[in-house]
Amino acid sequence: MKHKSTQHFKLVLALLICLVLISATDSTAQKVPISFNDYHGYTSTVKYIKQITQAYPNITKLLEIGKSNMGRPLYVLVISNMETGTTIDSYVKLRNMRREGVKNVTPMQTYQGKPGHWICASTHGNEFTGTEVCLYTIDKLVSGYNSDSEITRLIDNKTFYICPVVNPDGLYNSIERGIPQRYNSMKQDNDGDGKINEDGGDDLNRDGHITQFRYKDPKGRYVIDETDPRLMVRLGKDKETKKQRYSVVGEDKDNDGDGKRGEDSERGIDLNRNFPEGWFKDDGMAGGSGDYPTSSPEAQAIAEFFTNHRNILMAQFYHTSGGFTFRPMGTAPHPKLHPKDVAVFDLIMGKKYLEIIGEEVPEAWEKPELLDKFKEELQKTSKNKYAAMRGYELPRGWRVSYDEIRDRRYSYGMATDWAYMQYGIYSITTELWNPSRNIKDFPQFEGKDVRLKQMRALLKYQDEKYGGKLFLPWEKYKHPELGEGEIGGWIPKYYSNNALPGEPLLDVCEKHWQFELFRAGLMPEIEISDVKTHVLYTTNKAGNSKGKYKIIEITAKIENKGKLATHLARGAQLAGNREDVVWLIGDRDKLTFLQGTPFQKLGVLEGVQKIPGYVEKSKPISQESQSRQRWSRYYRPQYYPRESSPQQQRPEPQTLKQTGPKRTVKWLVAMEGSTPLKIVVTSQKGGTKAKNVIIQ
Amino acid sequence: MNINKSLKNILIITLAALLMTAFMPPVFAQKKLQKSPGGYHGELDFPLSWSRYYSYAEWTKIMQDIQKKYPHLADIASIGKSRMGRKQYLITITAKSTGKDTDKPAMWVDGAVHGNEVNGISCSLYLMWYLLTRYDYDTYVYNLVNDCTFYILPGLNVDANESYVVYPNTPHNPREPFRPEDNDGDGLYDEDRTEDVDGDGELSTMYSEDPKGEYKLSADKRQFVRIEDKREKCQRFRRIGSEGYDNDGDGMINEDDIGGPDPNRNYPSGWNLQAGNPYPMSEPCTRNAFEFMLKHKNIFAGFHFHNTGRLIMFVSPPRKDSQQSAFEQYQAQERFEQYLEEKRQDNKYAQAFDIQVRSGYEEDMNAQAKIVNMGARILKNYRPTPTGGSGQAQASTYDMLGAYAYLIELWGSPAFAADENDDGRVSDEELLKWIDIELTGEGWVRPHKCKHPDLGEIWIGGTRKKHMSRTPPAQYIKMEAEKNARFVMYCASQFPKVEIEEITITPATDELYWVEAAVKNDRVYPTASDRALKLKRAVKDKITVSSSKNITIINAPKGQVRTEPTNSQAIIEIVTGKGAEFRLNGQQTLRFCALVKLNGSSGWVEFKVKSQHGGMIQKRVEIKATH
Repeated sequence: MKHKSTQHFKLVLALLICLVLISATDSTAQKVPISFNDYHGYTSTVKYIKQITQAYPNITKLLEIGKSNMGRPLYVLVISNMETGTTIDSYVKLRNMRREGVKNVTPMQTYQGKPGHWICASTHGNEFTGTEVCLYTIDKLVSGYNSDSEITRLIDNKTFYICPVVNPDGLYNSIERGIPQRYNSMKQDNDGDGKINEDGGDDLNRDGHITQFRYKDPKGRYVIDETDPRLMVRLGKDKETKKQRYSVVGEDKDNDGDGKRGEDSERGIDLNRNFPEGWFKDDGMAGGSGDYPTSSPEAQAIAEFFTNHRNILMAQFYHTSGGFTFRPMGTAPHPKLHPKDVAVFDLIMGKKYLEIIGEEVPEAWEKPELLDKFKEELQKTSKNKYAAMRGYELPRGWRVSYDEIRDRRYSYGMATDWAYMQYGIYSITTELWNPSRNIKDFPQFEGKDVRLKQMRALLKYQDEKYGGKLFLPWEKYKHPELGEGEIGGWIPKYYSNNALPGEPLLDVCEKHWQFELFRAGLMPEIEISDVKTHVLYTTNKAGNSKGKYKIIEITAKIENKGKLATHLARGAQLAGNREDVVWLIGDRDKLTFLQGTPFQKLGVLEGVQKIPGYVEKSKPISQESQSRQRWSRYYRPQYYPRESSPQQQRPEPQTLKQTGPKRTVKWLVAMEGSTPLKIVVTSQKGGTKAKNVIIQ
Repeated sequence: MNINKSLKNILIITLAALLMTAFMPPVFAQKKLQKSPGGYHGELDFPLSWSRYYSYAEWTKIMQDIQKKYPHLADIASIGKSRMGRKQYLITITAKSTGKDTDKPAMWVDGAVHGNEVNGISCSLYLMWYLLTRYDYDTYVYNLVNDCTFYILPGLNVDANESYVVYPNTPHNPREPFRPEDNDGDGLYDEDRTEDVDGDGELSTMYSEDPKGEYKLSADKRQFVRIEDKREKCQRFRRIGSEGYDNDGDGMINEDDIGGPDPNRNYPSGWNLQAGNPYPMSEPCTRNAFEFMLKHKNIFAGFHFHNTGRLIMFVSPPRKDSQQSAFEQYQAQERFEQYLEEKRQDNKYAQAFDIQVRSGYEEDMNAQAKIVNMGARILKNYRPTPTGGSGQAQASTYDMLGAYAYLIELWGSPAFAADENDDGRVSDEELLKWIDIELTGEGWVRPHKCKHPDLGEIWIGGTRKKHMSRTPPAQYIKMEAEKNARFVMYCASQFPKVEIEEITITPATDELYWVEAAVKNDRVYPTASDRALKLKRAVKDKITVSSSKNITIINAPKGQVRTEPTNSQAIIEIVTGKGAEFRLNGQQTLRFCALVKLNGSSGWVEFKVKSQHGGMIQKRVEIKATH
């Protein structure tokens, strides 16, 4: 016992010395080394982010936001300087509170007082390239702090919420168990035999991998590829062939003896169809997956997190594959988006994205001043009516999942649409990985059989670069139900859906880290400046025996120096969102507001960047917030009580009519004696800033 | 040693089995049957006052105690915890001797999803008490509790329920679950709540003296009234609003009270962000309830109790898009109103609905119309109203679970006691007299002066107290609860039940016979709702046929036959060895027949009907050779 603890102590000491040495020698060094030579899976990802929190306690915090159905925690790593930032609740002193004292409100965290950037991955368990990009991003951020000025500025003034694994069970099964699982896991009895999850995939030949089993079958849909006999080629329906036909199935047997294979696995529901936006079909029947929107613990955890972290302005939901980005919408046609949001998405973010991935930028994005001309042209030439509305066709690398030609929605209940429509967030889904873009000198194919040619090339690539270790040669195996055949093929986790580890993966990571870094740099940055006071009047003989008091005029400038506004065009008016406000805070017993209410509504502070291709036509967006209302009383009793509701006839806070990125605010107060004053600006997505008022 | 032990075990088991059979009460007998309406029906077996509102601690204890008294009829379990950590207790009522709760069609009842509508708790508790105490005495209750299951969640929004009953409040708050919300957009959450400023235990209205005010004291000094004549010389008051302080110093009072989204806009069907934010089923209390309902596929109908307005809101099936012109619609409306008026000449409770439902939903509309017709008769002054859903619980109960759903708005105007001139309304004067006479003066806060830390000297009062408008004064709790319990029980009594009415044998040729069974459902509800069928949540009814060894069931081609050539109405569905699937409508009889071949002189044929909600029944018939 004693021996053990001293050993332990020694180890800890050694570790500590190491840590001290590392941090002493170079503050910029990577304190937690990471490599991308293989996938991390759930276990190593969790281990890594825990190490990060220990190594960088001042700029990180690990939050557990929920648990999967199999009990695996969902983590969000917060990256932000924990010593900077402030929130409004730390300034407003509440008094004479209701005696009942229900404690339902938790104090806000400082990082919630900064613009937030959400990045998540592995919503589909078998699309884990994004988890690697998340880890790469974490590494770049934490090790860039204090060495790279741009990263340092971002970590001081913004908040990154990185959730590398949205679907812990799906990822765990895909990597740790080797069974690709897009969906989450659920404890359920799919086949109604009273047993739960008793028949999933099996490692029949016990080689540690669950690959494929092929067997000769006159009704089979596969034949052996003539160029590379390791590949199985799927035939088109009703296609004739003289070659030997095969069937290819997952490595699996009938575990419960009901004559079916894999009919009761852990497979649950598609999490990216379990969000509340467009989950129902038009006829009111379920369109998305799950019993109801957010029925899965994973989707609910994310919905709850977004609800309680209203500072999120940017969001990235990584998926695979294809090497392009979906911006909203997939569940509804183009006109659902506000034109200003479209301009920010396409002409600012999309343009940058195409530059990063090396795709040609549409001419209209380069010359936004000619958009009207392009629109006219497209009206004549394009089959896509929405392209004609925009003035451009969406390029291959930056698109929507909505089928604009056939005017048909892509699917139901997707997270990206939900985050944009219901929370007012610049949310996107990047489908990571495209071999011909992310592998250096990968041959480019065109014309017939592109996919097959690509698969041959990939197989050859893994022979050369990975020593053929990603593909298992076909080996004879006698299947208990299907008889003679062979087991082999790609080890599923390396198969086509995800960036191959090493160089290709690093290429994906670097490009997408660069893109999110660019997006983080667009976020708003609020400043209070030019705080001026002007004492108009001083007296010792005040009425109401108030004693000595001054009448002071206080003015200040509030400005958003960031590139984008503090809300999307579709933003402030959404339920749960609000306009930016400014408070003047001092000792209530010594302060009387003569002009200007203690807090004033500022509308939405625009950013400094001109939005290319967008002309403000209507009234400022902040005015729309008037439509916000409470619906709690849908039915008025037949004989309604005489006392009317408390909301009626109440005084309203002052609302400024100014627009643009700047506001000038003013108060006239009577101050008794002297009391410290503070101006606090609080914007949901623009951050909170405070400044002392010094009375001259 | 080993042998000895096992022998001993066997002995014990046998003995136990013997004992059990000896002491087991006969299943189908009522212990204390009462046949006289003037007799004792068990109300003092578990004495309970229905003349007050109970706090969460009290009503959950009542549930626990009554379950201990009737363990053979009731079970209690918490279905989860509310936001503030209160357990949500649900009582399951069914006679355990007749089967498991999940094997019987079930009625779901919840009360007070809106925190302040605690009258629903009283009604739910009353139903629980009525079913349990009367089981041994009342044949009607006895049959119901034997045949059905009742899942009763007396208080759904337990945090707000508790606050409403125990602390000073207006009739309108707290209403929502306690999710923090920033109502005034100042960046703070729930920071300016109501307070009982004068400490009298009531949350009334504040006024301040103001020479420019629009109010004055009434002649009897009981209330503040609007000044009609602007030139009138009198002491003037300005209305400030509900009692409370300016907690956050922003110059406003009570502008950010506790509570988040409306829980009855938070259910999935028809949900929208503006009304039901932040996301569907975001509140633990509603999510727990809905999850329970989802998992219990035996739930056939559901009641959701609210206040106030005396309404039977029933979820109508999806409607057809009207092809009629505005004028045609107007004409149809006229015709409909005339029809209803005629109907009401014989029966003032008669109801009819001018609703064109989408194809495939006719039976649901039919059943709902019949049920609420009876509802109007039972509840008398309640008005049936079709409703759709924008995130309301009842809409999801029907739309997503396929269970028939009702939202009851309990209580309403006290016209029955206060309306002196019979105009159907209660005027201010009549109301005050009602308070003075029926409520012996309780229920009114008289205007009085009070010191306020933010406002100086103010006046408070001139309003009714809590439980005087939205929720009824205690003396009327039982009146509302009793008839509503009766309506819930009526609905449960109409849950489908399949019966094999008769089996007839018609010789066909030689040794072939048609054996024909009439399967009926006498109840108002079909064996599965149209909606449940569309949702694929329903299991269809199934009839199968079996026979003695010497009888062969011929696999006649699927389809219909007419065994009576002269009767074109007598269409009969053929049942083969595989059986046939169907759905029985309310009050419908379907006929099935099998073609059998008899080898020998006699044998038997048996029909078996299995219905998810309508139960299981089998009937056998002997066939003797006729040739």
